[in-house]
Amino acid sequence: MTAIRIQGLTKTFDGFTALSDIDLDVAPGEFVTLLGPSGCGKTTLLKVISGFLEPTEGKIFIEGSDVTAIPPERRDTALCFQSYALFPHLTVRQNLEFGLRQKKLPRSDRDERVKDVSQKLDLAAQMDKLPNQLSGGQQQRVSLGRALVMRPKVILFDEPLSNLDAKLRDQVRIEIRRIQRDYGLTAIYVTHDQSEALAMSDRVVLLNSGRIEQVDTPETLYHRPRTRFAADFIGNSNVFTGQVLGEDSPGRWNIETPAGIFTCALEDAPHGKEVALCWRPEHAVIGETGIEARVLNRAFQGHFTDLACAAGNGEFRVQALETTAREGDVIRIHVPPDRIRLLEDRP
Amino acid sequence: MTLRRWLTVILLLLPGLGLILGLIGTVVWIAIAQSFGLYGLNGEDQFTLQYWAEVTDRRVFARSIRYSFYVGTVSAILSVALAYPLAIWLRKPFTGSMTIGAILKAPMLVHGLVAAFLFINVIAYHGILNQAMQALGIWDEPRRLQNDSNAIGVLILQVWKNMPFALLLLTGAVQGISDDVLDAARDLGAGAWDRFRKVIAPLSISAMQAAMVIIFIGAMADFSFQVIAGPTNRQSMSQLMVFFKDRGDWHSAAVVGVTLMGLAMLGASALAFLARLVMKGRSR
Repeated sequence: MTAIRIQGLTKTFDGFTALSDIDLDVAPGEFVTLLGPSGCGKTTLLKVISGFLEPTEGKIFIEGSDVTAIPPERRDTALCFQSYALFPHLTVRQNLEFGLRQKKLPRSDRDERVKDVSQKLDLAAQMDKLPNQLSGGQQQRVSLGRALVMRPKVILFDEPLSNLDAKLRDQVRIEIRRIQRDYGLTAIYVTHDQSEALAMSDRVVLLNSGRIEQVDTPETLYHRPRTRFAADFIGNSNVFTGQVLGEDSPGRWNIETPAGIFTCALEDAPHGKEVALCWRPEHAVIGETGIEARVLNRAFQGHFTDLACAAGNGEFRVQALETTAREGDVIRIHVPPDRIRLLEDRP
Repeated sequence: MTLRRWLTVILLLLPGLGLILGLIGTVVWIAIAQSFGLYGLNGEDQFTLQYWAEVTDRRVFARSIRYSFYVGTVSAILSVALAYPLAIWLRKPFTGSMTIGAILKAPMLVHGLVAAFLFINVIAYHGILNQAMQALGIWDEPRRLQNDSNAIGVLILQVWKNMPFALLLLTGAVQGISDDVLDAARDLGAGAWDRFRKVIAPLSISAMQAAMVIIFIGAMADFSFQVIAGPTNRQSMSQLMVFFKDRGDWHSAAVVGVTLMGLAMLGASALAFLARLVMKGRSR
């Protein structure tokens, strides 16, 4: 059984289509991230799953039950808000107990759940404080705890780390993942931060203009982007349009691009003559063979050096772990054929 | 703080706060002094408890206190109770919400006397309301609605006049509650009523208290609505005060005035305290 099934979901606002024909299955205990740029529809999708928005078309099932028409207060989901949304007039304990009191759980059960969560989230010392007496990280943990005490079938996160500083973000990111695993929760996580999505998720749903662009594991999404958008959005990519010249050797095809000819390892012959290909800047090898390129700009980034290069009529980026190349130098770069991907969208 | 700093603060406050305290203090002092026989307008100036003894001994005094308390309390509670749902409704802007808000607040611009006369015309024996009820076949004959003994007319006028004020205060407070906080309550299982009593009311309690206190004081001390639309068999405290004054008995009028000030303060504090107490219990 799937934990969440989204079928043919469309959401429009006054003629504007925010989500279009979304189909998605999430397995129990899976951590799925909705990733995409601002305005792509990821928060809208989360709000539809949580019940705050009603879909224009389509259905949502949680553990096999159709919840499309069920309001959020009667849906077995818990949402962690970007702003934490703690009740400012209630103490940490009262915040954690809020949902349990709504459920009319006996006091002993309430105490047990609150104690368990407060210990797991290291909140025991803060229980009698008001939210405004807590740091951002502590507030985030209370928000998470308030959702966890409900022991929901599905936990939803709406960019929960966006208000934290970089160091705390890494720490809370690990905590969220650990707790999600410990409790065996099915999680849907919204973010626009690709590194967060890649680091935390079992699968990433990449959204673009209200449509699913690609759903895959972080590794597949990174190494095998299917579209130009996916290649561009996840990490850095050099994308070129090109003409297929022919098969060089079995399974190896030469493709001419404005930057030069690249050899691409393909299982099947390319569809048509015109293609789009991409490769990651870190996969290029600077050496004695390959395309001749001039270094336009050099930026030392610590663990690698970013080179902006020009070759023929094309420009691209190369990331080298160690290089002495400077602006104006001419270098040769080679991209291994199995590192070059043909994209599905037409040039 | 040093003496110099204290002096600076006092000097800075004097033009504003000093004037207010000076004027209010003078009036309060004169009223209290007059109630004890001092500052007589006809020249008498002798400390005595006679006026307090005489006035508090009269049944009409006790009745006017009960009546003014009733009008003040019910007006304050009804105004706030009506303003809350409207404030929540107008919390998020929608097409026409500005116009609706402006119309709802319009009674604040109408003088109480004008409103009372309009109201009397509407509910008069041959007024529009009676005509409409007969035309609709609900009543067979006109009814006497003016100056009803339960002061329903006065309460309607008070609420009509004061609800916009409560709305003004509550709208600001309710708008200050973030959508996420309300959504979080909903997500945790709180329905509309629970969201109101556990989140909205506790977070807007200060505005509610302010509205209740100000409306209570104003309604308790009402004169114009009472004189025109109030019951003829009862007197409000203001009415009683004017009654004594019209007889030239300024000392007895001062006794009623001082009692009114004291009770208004006490009642307002009690209402504010009660509101906080109720909301504190409800917010969990």
